[in-house]
Amino acid sequence: MPLASTGAGGASASGLAGAPAGRPAAPALPIESHALPNGLRVVLQPDRRQPLVAINLWYHVGSRNEVPGRTGLAHLFEHMLFQGSQHVGTNDHFRYLQQVGGVANGSTWFDRTNYFETLPSHHLDLGLWLESDRMGYLLPALDHDKLETQRQVVLNERRQRIDNQPYGRAFERLHELLYPPGHPYSWPVIGYEPDIAGATLDEVVEFFRTHYVPANAVLTLAGDFEPRQALGRVEHYFGEVAAGTAPQAPRQRPVWPSAERREVLPDRVELARVYLGFTVPAVGDRRCDAAELLAIVLGDGRSSPLYRDLVHDRELAQEVWAAVLPMEIQSTFLLVATARPGVEPDRLEEALRGHLATASRGELAADELERARNRMVAAHLGALQSLDRRADLLSRATTFFDDPERLNRELERYLGLGAGEPAAVATDFLRPDRGVVVHVVPAVGGGRTAG
Amino acid sequence: MKERPDAPQRPVSRRGPPPPGPQRPFRFPEFERRRLANGLAVYAAPVGHLPLVELELLLPGGAEHDPPERAGLATLTAALLNDGSREHTALELAAAAERLGGSLDSQADWDAASIGSGLLAEHLESGLGLLAEVATRPAFPARELERRRQRRLAELLRQRAQPQSLATAALTRALYAPTVYGNTLDGRAAGLRAITRDEVEVFAGRHLTPAGGALLAVGAFEPERLFGLAADHLGDWRARPASPSPDVSAPEVVRPDIVPPEHAGPRIELVNQPRAVQTELRVGLPTVSRRHPDWVALHVLNCVLGGKFTSRLNLSLRERLGVTYGAHSSLAARLGPGPLVIATAVATDAVGAAVGEAVTELGRLRSRKVGDDELEEAHSYLIGAFPYPLQRLGGVLHRLAELALYGLPDDYFRSHAERLRAVDGEALRAVAGRYLDPRRIAVVAVGPASRLAPQLEAFGEVSIRSPKEVIE
Repeated sequence: MPLASTGAGGASASGLAGAPAGRPAAPALPIESHALPNGLRVVLQPDRRQPLVAINLWYHVGSRNEVPGRTGLAHLFEHMLFQGSQHVGTNDHFRYLQQVGGVANGSTWFDRTNYFETLPSHHLDLGLWLESDRMGYLLPALDHDKLETQRQVVLNERRQRIDNQPYGRAFERLHELLYPPGHPYSWPVIGYEPDIAGATLDEVVEFFRTHYVPANAVLTLAGDFEPRQALGRVEHYFGEVAAGTAPQAPRQRPVWPSAERREVLPDRVELARVYLGFTVPAVGDRRCDAAELLAIVLGDGRSSPLYRDLVHDRELAQEVWAAVLPMEIQSTFLLVATARPGVEPDRLEEALRGHLATASRGELAADELERARNRMVAAHLGALQSLDRRADLLSRATTFFDDPERLNRELERYLGLGAGEPAAVATDFLRPDRGVVVHVVPAVGGGRTAG
Repeated sequence: MKERPDAPQRPVSRRGPPPPGPQRPFRFPEFERRRLANGLAVYAAPVGHLPLVELELLLPGGAEHDPPERAGLATLTAALLNDGSREHTALELAAAAERLGGSLDSQADWDAASIGSGLLAEHLESGLGLLAEVATRPAFPARELERRRQRRLAELLRQRAQPQSLATAALTRALYAPTVYGNTLDGRAAGLRAITRDEVEVFAGRHLTPAGGALLAVGAFEPERLFGLAADHLGDWRARPASPSPDVSAPEVVRPDIVPPEHAGPRIELVNQPRAVQTELRVGLPTVSRRHPDWVALHVLNCVLGGKFTSRLNLSLRERLGVTYGAHSSLAARLGPGPLVIATAVATDAVGAAVGEAVTELGRLRSRKVGDDELEEAHSYLIGAFPYPLQRLGGVLHRLAELALYGLPDDYFRSHAERLRAVDGEALRAVAGRYLDPRRIAVVAVGPASRLAPQLEAFGEVSIRSPKEVIE
């Protein structure tokens, strides 16, 4: 799950209105890190307030590990993982979890695949058994029938979320234009239909063998357990899983666009929509943090410049938002606005660019910076409320940076950004000649709804 | 990263799920309820370990009060609370809330209007003051009404291309027209165009009142302080007397005027999207008020039918037939008789099979008692998953809202598990028999009518509508 454009944890509240300097805005989470001999990294975040435990597993594999012509394999594989393993029957994964009131899911993204469940804490072993069984004992349970079933489910998913959704293909198209052919971020995570239709069982097995090894995984537990005991249970279930070799990360350097690319995309919509897409530095780079701060300043809330100007004052847009997708090779920065009836996309685009130009020109005003900082603090604290989000953020910090403690310094990092840094990002990266523009417009003849 | 010293090697038995450890009990968070002199109830739950607070002011101005020809009035009135008070403009209100890192939003659904605010705990007084200002001294500026109106109209246009919105609008109309539930919360273009500022003011004056309302507060605060601030900021608020309260002497029927019409048989509504590549499908029935004694049994029935991944419908439509990414069912909680809705998006050529499956399952629930294993799974899931949303302040608020809106006793959730377990196979069959009447079913399919009609004619009378007719 990509981190939203706000969010962080941390200690210092300097600059926060009303807070005495130095008082922590967020409590530091107690965190323990371990590694099993087979390479599995284990992060423990004990919290005994509620009788729940969140189990979260990140495998450092995603759509970026695929090849053109066989896209969607990571996501298809994620589906396969819920269909049982050697000691778990075909429909039993969810059955066992739901029988005890567990809430579970998984997701695939460009850089990683995660699996997670929150259970009443006295069922910790059940969760560990299920996750370790599908990590270490999946292959005997993989067969053609299961592949066929999930292939159909995924094809339905693609239709439901993308092909049958107004604007569904826009983001996918934007990434195809923003990143060059062959770049791992140029194809959608869910993959293209012919590739999903053509995936073979051999390819699925090979994918598992390559990427689903303990050394390529991080397991985080957050919630009601005693750490030494919990570690013992983790070792009990995961210790015997064969180590394997962590695969090499795909070699891809960031590619920076050198010219604008534009496209008009007819779709079955009533209102036009404009997407401006840019690429900014990778997660972990200070400039990515500054881009996230910029997105909040520009578009977060009804007092933000984008909303005030485009939605409220000039009534050009029905809705508008700015977002950053932080990724490992390089990140995507998006500005999206849906046009009011009668507003041409070009006019909307011009309005959006005007705000980027303003952003490039100078430092943020003190009150704008204050508002954005306070929003970040609130969003970060909000995210820490639930165990599963906390566990996911810890797995993320460990997978990307090998540093779970980073979560405790998150807010400090964002609050430490200077007033001029968002402008520098806008100037260097959010330039017309370095971005992609997609106009989604009502398809002539077929898009208008029958009168 | 620390590495553990070698642990003793012993083969792990992986046969079958491991047994649980000793269970730690879960208790619903403590809260206190008081009532201000003007009738406003105040619920205060001092929970959470983070310096956050969430507030919600519930007022009895739900869309159930939309006058005829004015569908959308309740939600529009509630939204306009955001758009200016006697002291501050829309922008100033937004800026004040957002500067504090918080949020302030007003909206309405069927049962109530709600003004919600999330804030950092240190700003509790400012936040509550802002909430009170918006609730008690709204200005309903004419210019803002126009803005909202135009935006709403554009939103209806956008929804005409959105299969889920079309499905919802068609289903509510099929089940409930001509009662007020037959509209959507957003309303219709004709009514939205006609709403005047006077009508908004009258609606607010009549329905957005402290009597019958509740302030809910969850988070990091001292209860006494919260009660004191509530009294300071909302205690002096006296509006005109509210419209008559629901007849609490007949608790089963809270809205006697909302009676879904009877039909001779199932109705099939096709919303024609000729170029859709998949079909959005709904199968719905009207049921009962949240306050009705049968609601809890229906809630358990819903879980068996389609309320979790391992429910009957999801397993058959997704895992067995492979015709969908997911199928689920939901039971509405409303003051009036809300719907039970089966929802899924299926491959267009499989719609007939999917509807057949849904109708068969409904029939099976009427004719065959749910077995002990399946019943136990439903109980365990509902009971076990109950604490999950309560990790978040918003989840606790949601449950307090349930108590406030439906007049449930303060200790209601202490007996949650027992109440669910008391629903046995016989009780399930009884409510299935009483409510899953095939004549009351409405089926809505949004997709290419030419391919859908032949598949669905066998199930009932088919009507074909255009998106423009459904969302107008």
